[in-house]
Formats: sequence, C-alpha cells, structure tokens
Amino acid sequence: MSWKELAQTQATAARILTNALTQGQLAHAYLIEGQKGTGKRKAAKLLSQSFFCQNKEGAEPCGHCRDCRRVNSGNHPDVVWVKPDGQSIKKEQVSNLIKEFSYRGVESRRKIFIIEQADHMTIQAANSLLKFIEEPNGETIAVLMTEQMQQLLDTIISRCQILTFRPLSRQQMEEQLVAKELPRPLARLSAALTNDIEDALEYCSNEWFAEARQKVIQFMEELINQSQSVLLKIYGSFSPHFDDQSKMDIGLDLILLWYKDLMSLHLERMDDIIYIDQLDLLNRQALKSSLQQVTDDMSSVLSAKKRLSAHVNQQSVMEQLVLMLQGGVSNEL
Amino acid sequence: MGADQSQGPRVIFHIDMNSFYASVEIAKDPGLKGKALAIAGKVEDRRGIVVTSSYEARAQGVKTTMPVWEARRHCPELIIKTPDFPLYRSTSKQLFELLRSYTDTVEKVSIDEGYMDVTAALNGIHPLQLAKNIQRKVLDALHLPSSIGIAPNKFLAKMASDMKKPMGITVLRKREIAKVLWPLPIGEMYGVGPKTEAKLKHIGVQTIGDLAQNNAAALVEKFGVYGERLYKRANGIDHRPVDPEAENTYKSISQSTTLPEDTTSDTVVRKVLSILAEKIADKLKQEKVTAYQTSLMIRYNDWQNITRNQTVKQPIQSKDDISHIAGHLFDRHWDGRPVRLLGITVTALEELYKATKQLDLFSYQADVKKEPLMDLISEMDHRYGEGTLRSASLYKKEEP
Amino acid sequence: MQDTADQNQETSLAMKFSISKDKLVEGVNHVMKAVSSRTTIPILTGIKINAGLDGITLTGSDSDVSIKAYIPLEEDDEEYVSIEKPGSIVLQARVFSDIVKKLPSDTVNIEADSRLITRITSGSSEFNLNGLDPEEYPRLPQIEEENIITIKTDLLKHLIRQTVFAVSTSETRPVLTGVNWNIQNGKLDCVATDSHRLASRSVAVESAENATYRNIVIPGKSLNELSKILDDNSGEAVSIVITESQILFKAKNLQFFSRLLDGNYPDTDRLIPNESKTDIVISTKGFLQAIDRASLLAKEERNNVVKFRTLSGEVEISSQSPELGRVFENVQAEEIKGEELKISFSAKYMMDALSKVDSQDIRISFTGAMRPFLIRPVGDDGILMLILPVRTY
Repeated sequence: MSWKELAQTQATAARILTNALTQGQLAHAYLIEGQKGTGKRKAAKLLSQSFFCQNKEGAEPCGHCRDCRRVNSGNHPDVVWVKPDGQSIKKEQVSNLIKEFSYRGVESRRKIFIIEQADHMTIQAANSLLKFIEEPNGETIAVLMTEQMQQLLDTIISRCQILTFRPLSRQQMEEQLVAKELPRPLARLSAALTNDIEDALEYCSNEWFAEARQKVIQFMEELINQSQSVLLKIYGSFSPHFDDQSKMDIGLDLILLWYKDLMSLHLERMDDIIYIDQLDLLNRQALKSSLQQVTDDMSSVLSAKKRLSAHVNQQSVMEQLVLMLQGGVSNEL
Repeated sequence: MGADQSQGPRVIFHIDMNSFYASVEIAKDPGLKGKALAIAGKVEDRRGIVVTSSYEARAQGVKTTMPVWEARRHCPELIIKTPDFPLYRSTSKQLFELLRSYTDTVEKVSIDEGYMDVTAALNGIHPLQLAKNIQRKVLDALHLPSSIGIAPNKFLAKMASDMKKPMGITVLRKREIAKVLWPLPIGEMYGVGPKTEAKLKHIGVQTIGDLAQNNAAALVEKFGVYGERLYKRANGIDHRPVDPEAENTYKSISQSTTLPEDTTSDTVVRKVLSILAEKIADKLKQEKVTAYQTSLMIRYNDWQNITRNQTVKQPIQSKDDISHIAGHLFDRHWDGRPVRLLGITVTALEELYKATKQLDLFSYQADVKKEPLMDLISEMDHRYGEGTLRSASLYKKEEP
Repeated sequence: MQDTADQNQETSLAMKFSISKDKLVEGVNHVMKAVSSRTTIPILTGIKINAGLDGITLTGSDSDVSIKAYIPLEEDDEEYVSIEKPGSIVLQARVFSDIVKKLPSDTVNIEADSRLITRITSGSSEFNLNGLDPEEYPRLPQIEEENIITIKTDLLKHLIRQTVFAVSTSETRPVLTGVNWNIQNGKLDCVATDSHRLASRSVAVESAENATYRNIVIPGKSLNELSKILDDNSGEAVSIVITESQILFKAKNLQFFSRLLDGNYPDTDRLIPNESKTDIVISTKGFLQAIDRASLLAKEERNNVVKFRTLSGEVEISSQSPELGRVFENVQAEEIKGEELKISFSAKYMMDALSKVDSQDIRISFTGAMRPFLIRPVGDDGILMLILPVRTY
C-alpha cells in the first residue's frame, strides 16, 4: 500500500495526509471516520510507516526498512495499536493505553497511537486520551478510527482533524481488483456483491466463488434452453456446490444479478451489465422474455432468498425456484 | 427528644462492660477464663502495645498501652491475642439490642458503654432490681461481665459505674455526692483530662469537692463554658437527656431534583449537579459535619434508577468537592439515555472537629488561608486551657 | 561491553556459538526479569541472543524496562564462550529459559540458520526451535563513551531507596509516579513526591564537565527493579547514559534500560519552605520508635494521624482512637528553638521518611501547623524529606 494507491479511493484524505507529511505539519490527532472496508486501517498503517520510515521519498515510506516492516508485523514498539477485543476495549488494554500516554517512546520520543473503533473506548480511556490530545507534544500523534462518529465525545471530535473515508464506488472497487490482476468478470461480479474491498478481494481469490459463478451461468443456460434436465442438474451439481445456507444465499444473489443484467439489457443500460462475458447468452434470453417476465423472475428469486433465510430446506427452495423460473408455476403458489 | 424528662426526677443507668475486648475473647474461648489475657496490636512485633487486658492480668501490673515485652515481664504467663474488631462490633450490636429490649431510650456512647433512661420503664420495679436483672441477662446471654451505675443524671451514673468493677452495681444519689464523690481526686472526674487536671491543680483544686466549692464565676472566667460545666457537674447537676439518636444524628444528607425536561446535555447536568452540591455543602456547614462518601443517583426517562458512589480518604465539605465527585460519577456511569432526575447523597459523616485532612503540596495554600484562625485557637488553648475556644459547633452537643 | 548486533544483523542471520551452561542460565535468569507474558508487542515474548565477536549478549524487555546480560568470551582466565559465526536470533523466552535450565551437559551449542530455525544441543539432547527475526526486536540506546555519568553502586541504591518510596501510586498525575532527576555541575538531584510528602536527595556524580540534564523522570517501578538487580556489596561504579527517551544503567555485565516518563515534572523547589518558625533536633531512632508506637492507635482510614507538640526540652506525641483508647509519649529533644507548635501528621509518612535516614539525629523545621515541614539528617545536607501536615478542624 502506498499513498498513491490510497489516493485512488480516498483522494481527499490522502492529499491532506501527504501534504502534512511532506511539509512536516502533521496534526496532533486524526479521526478517520467511515464505513467498514473503506481503508481506515490501511491508512493508519501507512501513516505510521511514513511517520517512522527513515528512507521515505516525499510522503511515501520505503516499505522495506526495519521500521516499515515492524509497523507491518505489529512489532514496532512505538506504535501503540488498540483494537477492541470483541464488543469493547478491555480493561487491561485501557490501562496499557493510559500508561503509554504517560511514557516516552522506546526508541525515540516519536510515538503514534492508533485506536480502532474509538467509539468503544471506556470513559476512563477517553478522558485520558483527551488529556493527552489537549497537551500537544510535537512528536506524538494519535489516530482514532470509527464507524460511528456521533458516538464519540464532542470534546474529542473537536480536537481531531477529521478525515472522512467514503465507501468505494462499484467502479472504483472493480478497477482496484483489476489492478491486482484479477479477471474483470470476477472483479465486476464481486464488486456488485459487496462494498467492502476486503470482502471483494476474498471472493475473487476464492476458487469456490469462480466456480459458483460458472454454476450459475450453466444453470441459466439450462433454463434458457428449456432443458428438461434442469432439476437433475440442480441435484447433481448445483446444490452440492452451495452446500450451506450462506453459500446458497450467495448463489441466489448471483442468479438475481443475472436477472438484473437482463433488465439492464431491456433498458439499454449496457454499462451496468455485470456478467460482461456472457452477453450472447444474456441477449438470447432477453429476446425470449419481456421486461415484465424479468421483473417477475426477480421477485421469484427474492422470495426464494426470503424462504432460505426462514430456514426452509435449501433443496426445496431451489426446486420451487426452478419451477417458477421455468414459468410452469405462478408466483402465487 | 426526651428533654422534658429532665423536668422531674430521672433514673439513669450507665452500663459499662468490664474489659470488653478481653471479655469477648473469653466468651468465645471459655478456656481463657481466669487467665491473664491481654489484647495487643502486632503480637509478632516486639514493640506491640497492650490495648486492654483481663482483670487477672491487671492484677499483675499489666496496663493499657504498656509494650508487650514489658507486660510479659510483669506477667510471664500472659496470653496475648490480636484484636478481632469485627467480633467486638457484632457483640456490641447484640448488647445494645438487648438493652433496648428494656427501654427505647438507650444512648450508645461507644462500643462498650451506654446510658439508659429507665424512668418510664420501671413500672414499680426497684431500680436496683432492674439493674441486677439487666446485668444477669447480659452475663447469661452474652457471657459478658458489666458494671452499672444508677443515678439521677448521666454524669453521676457514669461516675457510679466506675466505682465497683467488675460486676458492680452502684447507686449514687444526689444527697450522697458530698460523701462519695467529693473526696475523689480531681483527675478521676469524668471530663477532666490530664491537661485540665494539671491546670486545676495549679489553682489549688485537688478533689472534686474542691471544684464543687470553688468560685463559679472564677472558673467561668478561667475555663469558659467548659469551666461552668465542670462546676455544675461536680455539684451533681447534669441536665443532658439520654439521646438514642446521638450516635446517628447525621447519617446522610441528600438533595435531588427532577429536571424541568429530560436532558442529555452535559452542560445542563453539570449545572444541576452544581446546584445540588451547593445545597449539600450548606447543610454540611450548618450541621458542622463532613462526609467521606458521595453517591449520585440518575433516573432515566424510563424511570430506571442507578445509584453509584465513591468513597474518599479526605473529608469532603465544599461545594466544589461534591460537584467534582458527582460529575466524575456521572461521567463514569451515565449510559447516554435522557436523564429525568438527579440526586446527590453524602454519607459516612463525621463531626467536623474529629475530621482530618491530609494536606497536599500543590494545594495547601488554600487551607493555609484558615491558619490565622487556627493560630488563635491554639493561642487561646495555650493561655486559657484546652477547649476555651473552638468552633461554635463543638458546644452544640454538650449544651443542654 | 560492546553491542555489535545492529551492525551485524544487516548482513548475517546465521549464527553459531557454544557457551558455558551455567553462564547462559545466569544470563537468561537476569533478562527474564524484564520479560512479560502480557506484552502487546509479539516480538517481546522472546529473548534476543546476539553473538558478537567479544561475547554473547542476551536481551529481555517488556518495553518499559529492558535488561541486557553480557557473557564475555573469557573472564578471570576462564573461557565461557566460543563464537564460530557471529549473528543474532530471537527465541521464545519461556521455552528457551525452560530448556537451558534442564540441559544435561556443561556446555551448550546454539546455531541458527537463515530460515531462523535454531538448534540447541547439549550432551546428547537436541532441540530445534523456530526463531524470530532479530530485526523485529526493538533498538535500544547504545553507550556513547563521551556522555557517561558515573556513580558508585551502593550510593545509587541508597538514593533510590531514599526517594522512590515517595512516588505517587495514583495515575491521576502520571508524571508523579516517577523520580525526577536533574544533573548539573557534577551534581545529581533526585526528587519524588506524591503531593503529600516529598523526598529529595543530592549526590555528587562524575560526568562530563558541562553535562546538563533536566526533567529526567524515571518511573518508580523501574528504579525498584533496578535496585533489585544491582549487586548488594559491589563497590563498583555504574555508568549511566541518558537519551531522549530512555535511561541506561550499566553495571559490570548487566545493562538496565528504562523508558522515561513524559510530561513536565512540577517545579518543587518553589514549594519547599525556606524559612522556619520552629526547629527541633531529635534522635532519629527514638523519635521513629515513638511514632511507631503512637501509630498503633492511629487509624489508616483517617490519615494515620498522630499529634505532635513541643514542650520545654521535649516533644509530645499522642494519638487516639475511639475504639482503642489513647496514647501519649514524650521524647527528649536535643534542641528546640523558636515558637511553640502543635501539629498533626501522618504517622506512616513520618516513619517512611525517618526510616530512610541513616544519621543519628534529625532536624525538623516547621513553619506552621498547616504548612509543609522539613526533615533533614543532622550532618548531611544531601537529604531532605518534606511532609504535609494533616489538617484538623
């Protein structure tokens, strides 16, 4: 990770921080607020590296010196990183944090405090943090992260420079994944499923996911061909792949996205197509079904998802869905 | 509170437990009975001192505050036990419950002595018989020996209970004081400490009788209200009622208020706490007491109450102390829901003249501001004897 | 001792040496005192072993305190270490210390390969441990010969004992949990206060001519640990090096590092009274014992109050408890000058202070019942104890 990379997704925050770094004008405390998966933790790590790296170029840390590596491994003694253990920050963590506020660094007077989910801090910890940021010491900085800024004490917020991290757009996420040399069809599909880049990366690099996509395409193909063996295929290869509720749920999402593509075709919104490499198949199906038909099919998938979440047996959820999508049974059934 | 009882003649008992700690130990372990027993701090430490001892030990010259090694020299077979205060306190509680079964007007003076006003409880029984009954009952139920003084007022009852120990019962009538009380050396008079004793002797008062026949006006001039009080007592006059509430006069002081509207505003909460704290501080000042514990009550808009408290080592008296602690409690325990009512209670109260405060290097100057007054007090003590000048509050309890 | 670790680590990871088992165990025991299982920094669960050209250095740390033990190649004509290939490794402290204690032979061979796998052999037993990258271990300050301050071991232990007892144990003002050191003109001044009492000690030290250090606040906890590991009857000198974030104490084959407290230590000089209204000189021991006896009746939850007042030629100490009774004791004073005085103070603070003074007599200087008073040993200007009285109402 570099500031350049961060700038692709969090341009404003990256600009503020790199400027501060190059001009040697870091604030005493930063508050990074934004949803899960927006890169808060990465930014904090990057800032720690830039803060300690002896070989940085401009704002960019070298990434391989002893300091940079220790920031990465969690072994840098002057990076005090507090992660909530479960729901709250534990008493022991709090007392360690309070102690660290009162001590000088191990290797120099430079120290950085990183507090994840700062809104989970106990009042005691918050008060001692407050005392710490009220009496600035030029060589230490604090970085707070939160997903719920409104839960933090106003007195803390008012003393921090706030960096708002925006969720990635689907396109940004897709481009980031492609930049990591992941195949575009997979990148686009996973970006459509989640707005958490970490989750998306996880999908893309998971063989199961690539295969799941393949299974869904085969399934749609069978449906379009009005093959009599759709149900057999379901029993033989589809269901075994989606063998638990959460996997099945992803399977249904993938089917839903397929119907969304059909709708995009009908509405001529070509840029929105997700199964970008299946245009032929999509076109064939679009010709056969009306927009109304597509809408009905989507509701069928949604009601399948609902039944699944109500713990209806996965097999019967699929059976019923197939019958409905084949047009043999009405939705009302 | 019984003040009108002083109108007619009263019958007052003073009950005094004989070597209470040692007796409780013997009651617990009857094997110790008849042996020389001492209760002493730090037995393992050579320098521990004797806190109290059984009559058998006293007979051999063991005295309170004597170092253990010295006590052992007087009494080589001395058995030494470390104090078990929780046991003494629970035994004391049982004792006073027992006394209260005879009359409600029981005033606990300390862990092992108290006054009873039995005037209304006699119902035709002779006071001496009632005293015997009580003494017997205490011995049977708690296995503890006691001495009882019977007299028309607290001072004489107290003097009487001291006259025969252990297991004594002494009646001291007012007409007997010239014969019984007056010949006693002035140092044995209740209320005369070693320093006052020296000062009285200095003006030629050797016995209680000397004091009783002294010039009242001269005594007042020399010792102030205190002198007058001593003079009256030496003459057998003491109007103080037996006050069952004396021990609990100040248990707690509370203030609470329902907010005009539910709030989550820190500023509003601080303001309210500060007002409550001010009212409590005023009350503390008025009652001449100080507190060691502060509790905060928060009532939320769903009527759920939480109460949280904090105990401090240094006495709390000022508005700032109270609102500071209450604010701190609020910060620590408020869960963010709208607040409907706030209340502050201070407990663990202590009379101001008994209170002590460890001064702080960074803030003692604030306390020093009161020093000129302190100087004056010690100056007066020095010149006119201890107790001449004290904060007005100190008279309150003693005055009729 | 020279620590060549940080130069060697860049190029060499493999390492091989053999060492006397007893010396290794001794060294491991020393550094284990600094290792904590509750550390938040993973690498600190390990002991760092560095094989330099001049010997072996072991390091243990909980980040607050770090200890280095040095085992030279030879000492007093006895050979302890033989180095085949200099290098370093970090090994899990708990496991490593358990292993070395139980090895069968007098000699231990340790070698690490470039994958950090470490082989420990002794006699017929062999252990293979997965090591950790020594580059991950914290960098500790190095000794720079020109900035050394020197002090005798026993004097250092003394001044620690005479000051550290007065540090604060409360976190409300963290800087007061440390002892404040100032060095100037070859004089070291140490001050500790918990705001109720203060202890101060000045000693002469050897240092570079204009070495000046201000506001060096050493955690009381660290000083207590240092005092424990310093040899009791060693007449040898300890070298002290102060960096911007740590202080290093170097004894013969041991180095002790402590992080410093941040924040400005309050200016206490200004708070120490320089006039006196009542001065007494009294036997340290006699006074201490009398206070000790009076304290038996002083209640802890009521500030351990004992009362003190001057009489002619003697002082009176008294104390009372509603439950226990009262005690009075008069102690002969060597000298009483100035105004008469009545004052109350904590028996505990007084005993703490008196027990740290070695002189036969002390001088106590009061300026009033509500003001701090000073205790100084007669004949030693280097020590000053201050106690805030207890206010009675």
